[in-house]
Amino acid sequence: MNGFFSKMPRLPFHIVKRENCPLWMKCCFYLAAIVIALLAGALVLWAIDVDPWDYYYQMFTMGAVGNKRAYKIYMNYIKEFLPLALTSVALSLAFKMKFWNIGGEGQFIMGAVSAAFVAFKLGPVAPAWVTLIVMCITAMVIAGIYGLIAGILKVRFGTNETLMTLMLNYIALYFLTFIGETKADWNFFLQEKSARPVFESFKDIVIFPSIPLGEKFELNVCFILTLMVGAIIFVYLKYTKQGYEISVVGDSPNTAHYAGMKVNRIVLRTVFLSASLVGLAAAFKVGSSGVLSTSITDDVGWTGIIVAWLAQLNTGMIFIVSALICVLQFGSVNAASEFARVDSSFANMLQGLILFLVLAADFFIRFRIARTKKGE
Amino acid sequence: MAGYAIEMHGITKTFGSVVANKGVDLNVKSGEILALLGENGSGKTTLMNMLSGIYKPDSGSIYINGEAVSIDSPEDAKRLGIGMVHQHFKLVDVFSAADNIWMGKEKSGLVLKKKRYDEIKDITKRFGFDLDPTKKVYNMSVSEKQTLEIVKVLYYGAKIIILDEPTAVLTVQEIEKLFNVLRAMKAEGHAIIIITHKLNEVMEISDRVAIMRKGEYITTVNTSETSEQALTEWMVGHKVNLNIDRPVVEKTRPLLEVRNLTINNDEGATAIDNVSFYIRGGEILGVAGIAGCGQKELCEAIAGLRPIVSGQMIHKGDNIVGLPPKTILEKGISMSFIPEDRLGMGLAPSMSITDNMLLKNYRMGKSPLIDRKRGRKDALQVIEDLSVVTPSTETPVRRLSGGNVQKVLLGREIKAGPNVIITAYPVRGLDINSSYTIYNILNKQKLDGVGVLFVGEDLDVMMALCDKILVLCHGKVMGVVHAHKTTKEELGLMMTGSLDLSEKYADKPAGLAKDTFFEDENKKEG
Repeated sequence: MNGFFSKMPRLPFHIVKRENCPLWMKCCFYLAAIVIALLAGALVLWAIDVDPWDYYYQMFTMGAVGNKRAYKIYMNYIKEFLPLALTSVALSLAFKMKFWNIGGEGQFIMGAVSAAFVAFKLGPVAPAWVTLIVMCITAMVIAGIYGLIAGILKVRFGTNETLMTLMLNYIALYFLTFIGETKADWNFFLQEKSARPVFESFKDIVIFPSIPLGEKFELNVCFILTLMVGAIIFVYLKYTKQGYEISVVGDSPNTAHYAGMKVNRIVLRTVFLSASLVGLAAAFKVGSSGVLSTSITDDVGWTGIIVAWLAQLNTGMIFIVSALICVLQFGSVNAASEFARVDSSFANMLQGLILFLVLAADFFIRFRIARTKKGE
Repeated sequence: MAGYAIEMHGITKTFGSVVANKGVDLNVKSGEILALLGENGSGKTTLMNMLSGIYKPDSGSIYINGEAVSIDSPEDAKRLGIGMVHQHFKLVDVFSAADNIWMGKEKSGLVLKKKRYDEIKDITKRFGFDLDPTKKVYNMSVSEKQTLEIVKVLYYGAKIIILDEPTAVLTVQEIEKLFNVLRAMKAEGHAIIIITHKLNEVMEISDRVAIMRKGEYITTVNTSETSEQALTEWMVGHKVNLNIDRPVVEKTRPLLEVRNLTINNDEGATAIDNVSFYIRGGEILGVAGIAGCGQKELCEAIAGLRPIVSGQMIHKGDNIVGLPPKTILEKGISMSFIPEDRLGMGLAPSMSITDNMLLKNYRMGKSPLIDRKRGRKDALQVIEDLSVVTPSTETPVRRLSGGNVQKVLLGREIKAGPNVIITAYPVRGLDINSSYTIYNILNKQKLDGVGVLFVGEDLDVMMALCDKILVLCHGKVMGVVHAHKTTKEELGLMMTGSLDLSEKYADKPAGLAKDTFFEDENKKEG
């Protein structure tokens, strides 16, 4: 690297560390990053002959302005937002401990399948509220145990949790595919009548209730539950002894050990908690849509990683960031129906651009460029 | 102007709001060793980093051999013949010595040639180094790694060599070896700048001494015309008493007794071999020994962090072998080990001083919530008592300078009100003023009836501070001597294993207390 720089012409400025960047300045940098990303996106749109202004308008309003069925759009938006926010919060727990749990996808699938299992088996014989609670608990426990596999292997044999959780993702994914494509007598997850393998819906058996607000808009209880879990995790990380332990283990495992903490136990406990919250997100998701699908995760296990990092593992920020990312994703799907020429994966590109530029903005928050004064 | 290898004029460098260097002037001649002296955080390392191209001065000018230069990168520094040996080594662990040197070479071609070993061997021979070019870095001791860093610098033809605290992690013998190398380099006409805290080393090796205080340049004096006392006063800015007190305290019965203790190191080899000793309240027991002869393992075993192979440890008559670290802590045994990187054990570097204060007592109380109010109170008190320099109690520990980090660590240990303090290398890398603060803290604890086990490096300090000194050699006890009766030579002989005083008195074996609690148990049983 130095070799590279030394060949550059002498520059009249240099990089200086910035201390205590004020909040307004941080906000400005992040805002600038997003604006530049959008401008770059506009350039692409303009190149394929789409009016960027129209497109962005469609995207950011999610087609809700002037739409009689806007309430439907908001409800769908919230359905996308909840699993992402909760998964990101869950992952941030493990990340805080420097346990790189990138197994959100797998844990989500395991949670979703076990929640659906409970819905099919317990739903017809028990009251709805009992079924829903058992669904949540089962999903949490199964997902938690699934996450624990990587945790135990790391603690016991020093394996790399990144690789383990990554590989477990694929095991879970193919397990779900197996269920979704195997027509057999035992497979109650599929529709009996259909000749092709199609997931059976349990909408009529059990589903998370919604609270009607206003004329047509209904707020799913999962929304309130997710916010509550978020608040609890915020307090847990910031103000509890266990949260403190997570920070210390993340910062220096040696020090934690030296302070008399049972490091392995803390690691396992936190990994279980992280994975089980991903499972809870999955239970909310299947519990409110009433059906499994091979794309049940909506990639929240991956997007959640980005959200957690963009929010710098701050629980409050995670909710804001995931709300924004959801606007991007949901809005672009919506805009894609208006603009046939732009695929909905445009959102992915935009998301990548924003992530990249926000990270670049981070550089300017930590450093500033100063003019080099010439010595006399 | 002529004659100076380096001249720095009016160098100023700020980091955010902190002024690290303010109008510093410095010059070094060829064939001269200049010692750069200053307290922790006085800006020595920053100044040197500007010479080696890591930082750029905000203002000021640098002349090399009378020519104005601009050093924009380490590459520039290399081209100008400036080489720096950093406090923290910058080596690739899995590479051999030769490859570590060779990889930085431009136009070295794509093929690894056998010849590279010979080239490097030539250099080591010329300056009298002891280094095997084929040895992998992860197999090297600290001193070998440092030698490698110096050879690397010389290989690239450095004429100006900067060493940042090279002696902090070396043993007495290794330091002597290093100094011989420095003298050989000086004789070849190299200009050498050495940063160190140890005044006796400054007096021994340097020709001139430049002194800095709080980022400002104070003065440069000829070593032959000054004294340790004068240097300290320049450095600190006021008069300092260089004597270490050894108050006499009424001793209690043994607080901690260790019998026939054997411990393995991480590799499974014997680190501590059948060691017995005891510490009374109101006593400082020094542990002397060449680096890496079981000190770390001993400290860890007492704190319950490392399983023992055999032996007994009792605290006030209660067995502590096999107890978890938490229980041992609660019994009032505090252990603070300052590792070579200073931050590795005992502190969570990214967390605030407040949070670090809570590290050992956060479990207190039944509430599941953590009591930061108490942490903040403790932090404020430690900051005040030990005059820690920090913007606030919420500053992450890693942003503090070395001395302040150690004060925070020791402050917390003492705050917990222990009855036995195990402290290893508490003044490692500290400047005079901070070191004396730490000695005073330990003496105060001793006056309060605390038993202190002091694992140290500097024999002069240990002889002045400790009541008794236990000497280890390859994990074996070479004897326990009274600090005021022994000599440096005697300790040196014991450390190297040439003198064994452990069986000097047949009737009074070393390390066994007369009024031991072990007898109690035996009596009970009998």
